[in-house]
Amino acid sequence: MRTGRRDFLRGASLTAAAILASGAGWTQNSQAAPASPDYSIEIAETDWELAPGKKIRTAAYNGQIPGKLLRLVEGRPVSIEIVNHLDRAEIVHWHGQWIPPDVDGSMEEGSPMISPGGHTRIAFTPRPSGLHWYHTHAMGHRELKYGLFTGQSGMMYVEPRANPGAYDDEQFLVLHDWEPYYSASDDGSLMVQYVSGSINGRLLGHNDPIRVREGQRVLFHILNASATDPHWVAFAGHKFQVIALDGRPVATPATVETLRLGPAERISAVVTMNAPGVWVLGEPRARFRQAGMGTVIEYAGQSGKPQNPQPASLAWDYRAFADAVPAVRKPDLTIPLVFTSRFQGHGAVDRWMINGKSFPDGAPILLHEGLRHRLIFDNRSLDDHPIHLHRHAFELVSIRGAALSGVMKDVVVVETGTRVEADLVASNPGDTLFHCHQQDHMDSGFMALFRYA
Amino acid sequence: MRFFPFVLILLGAAALAHAQGNYEIQVYGADTVAPRSTMVELHSNFTADGQRRTIGGIAPTFHAEHETLEITQGINDWSELGFYVFTSEQSGQGVQWVGDHIRPRVRVPEKWRWPVGVSLSTEVGYQRALFSPDTWTWEIRPIVDKQTGRWYFAVNPALERTWHGPDIDKGIDFAPAVKISYDFTRKVTGGLEYYADYGSITSIASLHNQQQQFFPAIDINVSPDWEINFGVGVGPTAATDHWIVKGIIGRRFNWGGRNKNP
Repeated sequence: MRTGRRDFLRGASLTAAAILASGAGWTQNSQAAPASPDYSIEIAETDWELAPGKKIRTAAYNGQIPGKLLRLVEGRPVSIEIVNHLDRAEIVHWHGQWIPPDVDGSMEEGSPMISPGGHTRIAFTPRPSGLHWYHTHAMGHRELKYGLFTGQSGMMYVEPRANPGAYDDEQFLVLHDWEPYYSASDDGSLMVQYVSGSINGRLLGHNDPIRVREGQRVLFHILNASATDPHWVAFAGHKFQVIALDGRPVATPATVETLRLGPAERISAVVTMNAPGVWVLGEPRARFRQAGMGTVIEYAGQSGKPQNPQPASLAWDYRAFADAVPAVRKPDLTIPLVFTSRFQGHGAVDRWMINGKSFPDGAPILLHEGLRHRLIFDNRSLDDHPIHLHRHAFELVSIRGAALSGVMKDVVVVETGTRVEADLVASNPGDTLFHCHQQDHMDSGFMALFRYA
Repeated sequence: MRFFPFVLILLGAAALAHAQGNYEIQVYGADTVAPRSTMVELHSNFTADGQRRTIGGIAPTFHAEHETLEITQGINDWSELGFYVFTSEQSGQGVQWVGDHIRPRVRVPEKWRWPVGVSLSTEVGYQRALFSPDTWTWEIRPIVDKQTGRWYFAVNPALERTWHGPDIDKGIDFAPAVKISYDFTRKVTGGLEYYADYGSITSIASLHNQQQQFFPAIDINVSPDWEINFGVGVGPTAATDHWIVKGIIGRRFNWGGRNKNP
């Protein structure tokens, strides 16, 4: 999915109208709905061709996978109409946006579901800027046919008011896994695996190559939209200078050879094209590479079979992008969040718990507006978890006991048996969902509601 | 595989032969060993109450300790190749080599997303006449299993054929095995295993002469790299050893395939 910086959001000129209400007929309306929306999202089943002769049937936005890139402007209101052509209720979550709970797209927070055949129009003011995304927040269910197992996801790029623009081209890449099935896992419970994986909806070799020129600086915006799997990304012969994580600029734009993205994580990284040839950018691990998760990068004037050597190692550490000297800030409150699971059988997925309770059994966790809350993610389970907080961002302050600062996230992968601490300054009142972004985990109770006191 | 010397049953009811060779007592699941991995298993079976006399030149099983080494190499995500070394130890006889078998197996790949696990195993091998009058045998074993929640079911309707020995003209035997188990915890699974040999598919033996064994058994799931199974078997028919204690301990070795790609 290539867009030039000249491609601006289509409805920018409509923003004045965006605050005018039509009201009648719309089920959801944090801000007044305009006469005509800036964007329209139609949810429907589609036959999607991952590769010639390989079609899947899945739900998608506007019949395309991924959904169209929404380019918004920070602080400029936008209205979006959503039409649900499916025979089941749906909901669209605006991941990474600090917006009111009635439009955030989580029924647990109070956003209404869109009934089968129904429609809604929402309006909100995008913030913060950076790379975010929109996706279904419906359950995946045991059949693995719904929720994020479908193609209901798309990128959303919120233009900052000021953009340094130190790059020549932009590329948006969405990773997704397809054709899920259950398999035995090392921890003794079922896990989800996939037959195929795509970048921007196509298997490796079946999407148009990304064409570059030597010396170009290309900014890659990468999203892992997988329902359950973390992914690595490598680009043989090249390195990534990571400038933002989850849409937030990092303190240290470090250069790395491989990227790791937990489900729902986003990375913005600049690559200097200094190794002419034809290469594969994508999952370096054999299983995923064979499944198709890659795309070809082709230098001008170069041809031949794409080269795709495996990196020597896979390494990722959030601390690489942190302040050189960690800032020390004292929290006002501490909130321990212990992640455990209850075994349900080797032929089932575990039941997941936060502080011993599966959602919705636990009481809401209280936040106090304006205060700094230290969230302690204590993963005592046998799985890694991509932990997501709606409507807010948090700053990582400790990983495995090592202090850091300057890395803001809304999803963090908490590895098995480890503790990650993050500071949350409560600044966006309203119910806020906190959950593991692995679809089968959140479906099995790995959620909690944060509520402002 | 488990090669009961089922052929003895077919020697005739008059002989009431129930000499058995319980070397590998296991109901197969549909999984195969992963590529670049090797599974090494030791099957230890002790016949606490079995045949006490030598019948037709076949060694008795009473208080026999059978040790079987099974080595299985994963080839790809849908096939494996197994190899067996069978031994027997008995008072006064020392440790005896019994024979060897080879067992290729293929499965329906998981990525086909069938609702049940399905694989097909075939096994060919030799055993010394002292332990089985039929020295060359062949087996084909369809395997269907299903894990749902805490419950696990597996059925192995195996067919066996003699290639060399007195039963070469007896046709094909039907020797099914079934397992049902329940996961009490993540690490402890308990269940019942059933093994039988009904004799020829064209001439089912009388119940008296069928082999029937029931094994209450437990599986200990300490790690994906270990396989531990323990059971005590009861044989209620005359042609079956009456009490057998069995144990399986297996260790999986990965040759860089699984951990290389986290």
